[in-house]
Amino acid sequence: MENSTIMIQMSDIYKSFNNIPVLKGISLEVKKSEVLAVIGPSGSGKSTLLRCLNTLETIDGGSIKIKGEYLAKNSDGKAEYADKKTQKHILGQMCMVFQQFNLFPHMTVLENLLEAPLHVKNMKKNEILPVAEELLRKTGLFDKRDAYPSRLSGGQQQRVAIARALCMSPDIMLFDEPTSALDPELTVGVLNTMRQLAEEQMTMIVVTHEMGFARDAASNVIFMADGNIIEKAKPHDFFSNPQEERTKSFLKNMLK
Amino acid sequence: MHNILNTIALMLEGTETTLQIFFITLVLSIPIGMLVSLARLSRLKPVSWFMELYIWIMRGTPLMLQLLFVYFALPMAGIKLSDITAALLAFTLNYAAYFAEIFRAGIQSINRGQYEAAKTLGMSYTQTMRRIILPQVIRRVLPPISNETINLVKDTSLIYILAMNDLLRVARTIVQREFDMTPFVVAAVFYLAMTFVLTWIFKRLEAHYGKYEV
Repeated sequence: MENSTIMIQMSDIYKSFNNIPVLKGISLEVKKSEVLAVIGPSGSGKSTLLRCLNTLETIDGGSIKIKGEYLAKNSDGKAEYADKKTQKHILGQMCMVFQQFNLFPHMTVLENLLEAPLHVKNMKKNEILPVAEELLRKTGLFDKRDAYPSRLSGGQQQRVAIARALCMSPDIMLFDEPTSALDPELTVGVLNTMRQLAEEQMTMIVVTHEMGFARDAASNVIFMADGNIIEKAKPHDFFSNPQEERTKSFLKNMLK
Repeated sequence: MHNILNTIALMLEGTETTLQIFFITLVLSIPIGMLVSLARLSRLKPVSWFMELYIWIMRGTPLMLQLLFVYFALPMAGIKLSDITAALLAFTLNYAAYFAEIFRAGIQSINRGQYEAAKTLGMSYTQTMRRIILPQVIRRVLPPISNETINLVKDTSLIYILAMNDLLRVARTIVQREFDMTPFVVAAVFYLAMTFVLTWIFKRLEAHYGKYEV
């Protein structure tokens, strides 16, 4: 697949919670191997946008296309979702990393990684075990493989969550504020794992407050406010020469 | 001396009936309670309402009344049950309702993130419940389940109204016949022994299911 392949195409996405609009006609495209950083104040709709991509939230209007396949299609201004089987196929290509890690507490680190490959993909243990162990080595958690999540630091838990997602060999990784629940010194390890993933050409959407990561690891940055995309730019331009007033004031506050 | 041994032998027989009711009720009402809690949480409103109604009736009327109803009223409707079946039916329906509410509390206490993580990994509802949610629920509901279970041991004594010879009824019969209070003390010791064993078992279960916690 060449690098210009469009992996994610969202057009004119509308979403309301109890009649309060949170996404007001968002459109965006993500190409293969692109790392898209989504930043913006809380309540701007950036997490909702991400959650709409993998059906944790359903959209009211607009269309979502993943690798050329419709997840939801616009029909008379309303979003019409693909059938269950198609949805399952599309969603199988994406994995998500959450702010609160959401590891399975009753399973060891290794069991967390193996759970979905064994029981969703029905892989054999001897097929997936080497993959899981390699991922644990890469994230520096091999010696923790038999520990329960409660014994790990937040940073380690988040790296396990990333490894668990990667164990499903997704084409697209979604990160929902992956470091927001971590102490500052623990974010480094998580961000390094994500940087490494970006270097390996993973397609990623990262909702984040980490301006440093957006600046030097993202290929594009989107700034959202009040359910709209205010500005989209290359990181360098975005941080050194923002165009919109709203962006400027946000960045001024963030970098204070 | 001979008298005491004789009393104890009679009371052991009564204990057998008590334990029989206890075990069968427990084995039936826990899985039924689990299913009722899932149905109670169903998105299908009529299913959920029906379960709410069932739980309300079972918790809202005395167990003794339920026993009498199954034993005396059902035969009038042409349903004739043996003593033990009638007792088991009433106990199971009653305890399943309490267990259902315990399981519901347990299920609802699990963080939404667990469902979301399972969903984004492609797990189905059944897989999510069976492999992710319920194992965590079991750990959390063990203390209240232990409570209910100990209650059940003592509630079995209600079957005396169905003229079944359980531990307490045997004790009372001997007391009335011989004007000697010892059988009551012996019965108390028997009940304490049973609840002691149960408490120990639940302690072990809690340690086993809680091994992943700090």
